[in-house]
Parts: sequence; structure tokens; C-alpha cells
Amino acid sequence: MGRSNKNLVTEDHTISSMLFITMSIIGLPVDVHVKDGSVYSGIFHTASFDAGFGVVLKQARMTKKGKGLSNVGNEVLVDTLVVLADDLVQVVAKEVALTVDAVGGKMTGDCEEAVTLEVRSSENRPVDAEQVNQSRQAGDNNSKGKPDDRRQKLEFNKKNDAKIQSLHSGHESDTCLRRVKADKASDQSSETERSTSPDSTCTHSTISEDLKEASNNFPAKFIEKSAPRGKDRTNNAKEFKLNPAAKVFSPSFLYPNSASPAVPTAANMVYMPNSCAAANMVYIPNNSPAANMVYIPNSSPAANMVYIPNTSPPVPVATIQPEVGFNTFASQPSVPTKISQNGNLTVGNAGSGSQFSQPLPYAAHYPPVLSEPAYLQPTNSPAVMVGRSAQFVYVQQVAQDLLHGVSAPFSTRPLLNHVQFPKHQGPHGQPIPVVLPAAVLASAQQPFAIQNHVPVLQPAFTAPPISVPGPNGFYGNKFS
Amino acid sequence: MTMENGDEFAVGCFLSIRTTLGDEFEGQVMTFDRETNYLVLQESSKHGPRRNIRLLKADYIKDFTFLGQGQDPLHSHDCSLDLNALQSREELAIRQAEADAERIGVGVTTEAQNIFDALSKTLPVRWDKTVIVVMNEVRVSSPYHSECVIGGTPAANDRVKKVLDFERKRLQLRS
Repeated sequence: MGRSNKNLVTEDHTISSMLFITMSIIGLPVDVHVKDGSVYSGIFHTASFDAGFGVVLKQARMTKKGKGLSNVGNEVLVDTLVVLADDLVQVVAKEVALTVDAVGGKMTGDCEEAVTLEVRSSENRPVDAEQVNQSRQAGDNNSKGKPDDRRQKLEFNKKNDAKIQSLHSGHESDTCLRRVKADKASDQSSETERSTSPDSTCTHSTISEDLKEASNNFPAKFIEKSAPRGKDRTNNAKEFKLNPAAKVFSPSFLYPNSASPAVPTAANMVYMPNSCAAANMVYIPNNSPAANMVYIPNSSPAANMVYIPNTSPPVPVATIQPEVGFNTFASQPSVPTKISQNGNLTVGNAGSGSQFSQPLPYAAHYPPVLSEPAYLQPTNSPAVMVGRSAQFVYVQQVAQDLLHGVSAPFSTRPLLNHVQFPKHQGPHGQPIPVVLPAAVLASAQQPFAIQNHVPVLQPAFTAPPISVPGPNGFYGNKFS
Repeated sequence: MTMENGDEFAVGCFLSIRTTLGDEFEGQVMTFDRETNYLVLQESSKHGPRRNIRLLKADYIKDFTFLGQGQDPLHSHDCSLDLNALQSREELAIRQAEADAERIGVGVTTEAQNIFDALSKTLPVRWDKTVIVVMNEVRVSSPYHSECVIGGTPAANDRVKKVLDFERKRLQLRS
């Protein structure tokens, strides 16, 4: 009789009707019925067609209790709720209009750039996949690649938290970069997520089979993030307001070609004066109140400055000697840190002002993340520096878990250990080692506790605080 | 019940379905996805272009009745997806949900929530665990009577007490 399944032709793609409908209900409040009779209501975020049809809701709560056990409390509002394919019975979306107008066809200025970046990301995707796969550790058994069409489907995942957005000065390229990069991050995270318990994090749009295994006991897999409401958000909002001018810089290390031009846009740039051969800076991102940043300008012999961006208990910070030109940088929307040339930092070089020269690769020293949770947009805050020579160190800064109940740090597995060591070497001819933190990439707004231990290893320390290595520093002409 | 072929779920036909969980509804078939075994139905709701959409796993169909054949509901639609609009819509919805959630107390009684909602009509209120904080200075703790109003300037305190009493009476009258 009629067609039972047809492929719809959208502008550029042919997709199944099911996929079209699924995408059309994104952002709408839906009711999800699960097999034990429970009903969860939330905002439809995404779905997975991998081994069945699973969905992810945002801001979900249980509206009808079924017979089975559930790890979602009755009154609890869950930031992200993953309902696996095995548990899902029905998704009901009310008052949906599938026409273009109803969806809201107005394009904002953001959109064009976002579209452009999406295109770019699709070009780079194969490269990214290879890099990611190579750097996976043996522990990951999600080495199977994801089909590109899935990634494309997932590109629209929202990555920016509303709070974070309020922080930003609305820099277009930042936003778009974040979106693209976050998409990559979220794709990667989906391939490595483990959910053996409600404590596990990293819910994501694409639900891997491993998730399914882990949730046999519960009708709905619940991954909670920032469950304590009100207070924490208020506090975080206050934190944000303290540094309203701070921007978030989140370059995409995955796309070194695309990222470098856009790099000097945010306040978290690593500042390296041009005339200074090797500006040795260690920027310790403030993923916890106890983070510090050390900026040591090269040409000023006695200028070892410690810039502590947040009021926090003092944490001993290794003073980095200039022999090792490591600049650590991470962007964190929750902790606005400004590298200001005036104020806290004395720049020895005259006229070096606020130029942003090409950033140097550096390693981040992260203090252990143990203290007050700082809400962090993980996908917005990988610490990435892209050197001019496209050598970069990827250090991921991941959000700390806001959930009070989660005390144990999640077992993190290094998601990306792709490191390109600078071709130049330290002063004594030793390769400069970089240790990357184990981190779990996740889609936006995912809770997880990360132990970021990235000791900055210095091959040598000399007695005088700074010795100027020479006009060209250690990096030859590459960075001058 | 699993469908071996999709012909029984022809697009456009009207079905009345009963699920194994006890739900009953009617709708028009929009599509049937064989891979995932999902039937997507469109329910005719009131008027206008907005419909309820159901994605139902066919395994849970207990029985169904064929009501008639109609046109493919998707055919007439302009099948394009504005990803950015979807994204914005979702962001907006989440923001709204978060804002609404701030107004809901966790671990409070329905009565307390009703009082909170009533107070919020005229006063700026927020939750602090189970305490209603009015104008950031006056605190109303359980069980939310006039005697439980603490803090703030005497004027503010009185005002909160008055509004609280008033709203309580209103709630009592209603229920």
C-alpha cells in the first residue's frame, strides 16, 4: 500500500523519516515512557540510533512512577537523563509543528559562522578520528569509529550552558569554535563513556553499547549533573559576575588549521611579548578555587610573578624557570582569568604591551581538583595551545563534578593523549616532557571529577630566577 | 509484537492502538522505522498545524485497529531542518526550565510550594533549602506561619507576615 519508510530529502541530505522527526522534536518538552511504566518529562536533547533507539533528555524529572526501581528521585530534576534503547517504550512530544516556520527559521548572526565551522569540522573529521583513535588507551573498547552521518546528526548538540553564555561577551568566533570543538569532544566522549553506576558521567548524545550493559538494573539510566540546585547555581553565577569581562577562549586543537587564526580573541590567551624570546608562563587554570597562574616574563630578571586569578587558599606553585618555555593555558568559563599585562603582572618588556603573539605550547599544572566544585563547561575548556608550527599540547580541562553526592573521582581515562612535542628542546638538549592529565571528555554540562595532575616537568632549574636564554630563546626562530 | 514487514504500518493510515502498558491512543502513521522497530504516529489534536507526535516501540503494541487510510502526513511538509533554530530552541527551553526549577523547592511540602508560589506573585522570593527567603532578608521557615517569619527590617517583616496570612487564607478558601 503506502510506503512504510521513506527517505526525506532535506536541503543537502537524505534522511529517514524517523530521523527527521526525531530531529524535529529537539528542544521540545517530551514525555518518555519506559518499560516499567515510569514516565519522565524533560526537554528532548538527542537520540541514538546505535543499537536501538535511545534518547537523552535535559532538565528531566519523573512525572509518573512505574513499578520498577529507578535511580531518579521523585522530586529530582536531572540535568541530563539518558534513557537506553532497552528501556524506552515511547516518546511523546506535544504540540509539535513540523513546518519550517514553526521550528523558527530566523537565522541569527551566529548561525552563519556556526554553519561555516560545521562545514570545516566535517572536513577535518577524518583526521580527528584518526588522532583520537590513535591516542586511545587500551582500556577503551570503543575503538569502533562512528559513522560520519551520525556525527553530522549530532552537530547541533547544544554545548553551551546558559550560564556560561551569560558570561561571554558574545564573541562570535568563540561561540562557534566552542560549538565545533565541543561537538568533537562530545563525539569522543560518547565513545568512551562508561556508566557502571549513577556516578558515572559523560552522558552523551550517542549512547554506546557499553552504556546499555551498565544499566540493567535500572529502567532509566540517570546521569546527574549539578543536582543541587539553587545555591550552587547562585554561587556560580556570582562567581561569574565577578569577572564579567573575562572571555572564554577555547581553541580547537583538533583543527589546528582553523584554530590558530582565531586564537587571540579571548582573555585567557597566553601572552608572549614579541620581543621576549621565550615567555615562559605557566598558566594554571582555575578549575578549583586553588588554582594559580604564574607568569614569568622573560626579559625581566626578577619578575617572577604569581598571578592568582581567584581568591583561594594559596597553593604552592612551582616557579617555572625560563629555560623551559612552557605556557600553560586553559580556558574555563567558570573561572574567568584574565592575563592582564597591567595589574597583577609586570611585563618587563617595554612596548610588549598587549600583543598576542603566537602562543607557545605548554603544559598545564593543575592542582588536584578536590575543593569546592566549580562549574565548568567541559567542552568549552580544553586547554589547547596551538603553536605557530602547529605543535601543540592538548591538555584537557574538564569540569569538576558539581554533585555533592559524588565524592569519589571518576575513573578517568585519557581520552586524548595526542601530544606533539615541540621540535625544539630544552636548554640541555632534553626533550621537554609533557604529561597530560587523564580526562574524560563529555558533552556539555556533564559532571565528573577530574584529577588533573599535570606536573610541569622541568629539565633544569638554574639558581637565578630567570636567565635569558638568548634573543631567540629556546625555540629558535619558530616562535619569534 | 514485532512486525516482519512494514506493510501493516502503512504511512498515512489511521490506527487505534493499545499498548502493553495500558495506554490507548489513536493516530496517523507518519513512518515506521524497521531498524529500530519504532512506529511514529501523529495524533490529531485540536486545530492548527500542531500535533502530538508519538514514537512508539512496536514491541509494546498489544493490539491495534485500522481506522482508515489517509495521506502521508509528512509529504506536505517542507522537510527541512534548521539546526540552529533547533539548537536555540533547546537552549531556550533549558534556560526556562532552569529558571522554573529555581522556583521549586526540593524536599518541601506541596503546601510550602503553594505558599511560595503565592508569595512570589507579589514579592521576590527564592528557596534556601526549605526556607522561603523573601526580599533576600526575611526568612520564612517551616511550617510557614506568621510566627515563622524571621528577619529583615520590621517593616519588611510585617509586610511578609501580612502577605503570608493573606495568601494562606486564600489557599484555604480555594482548597
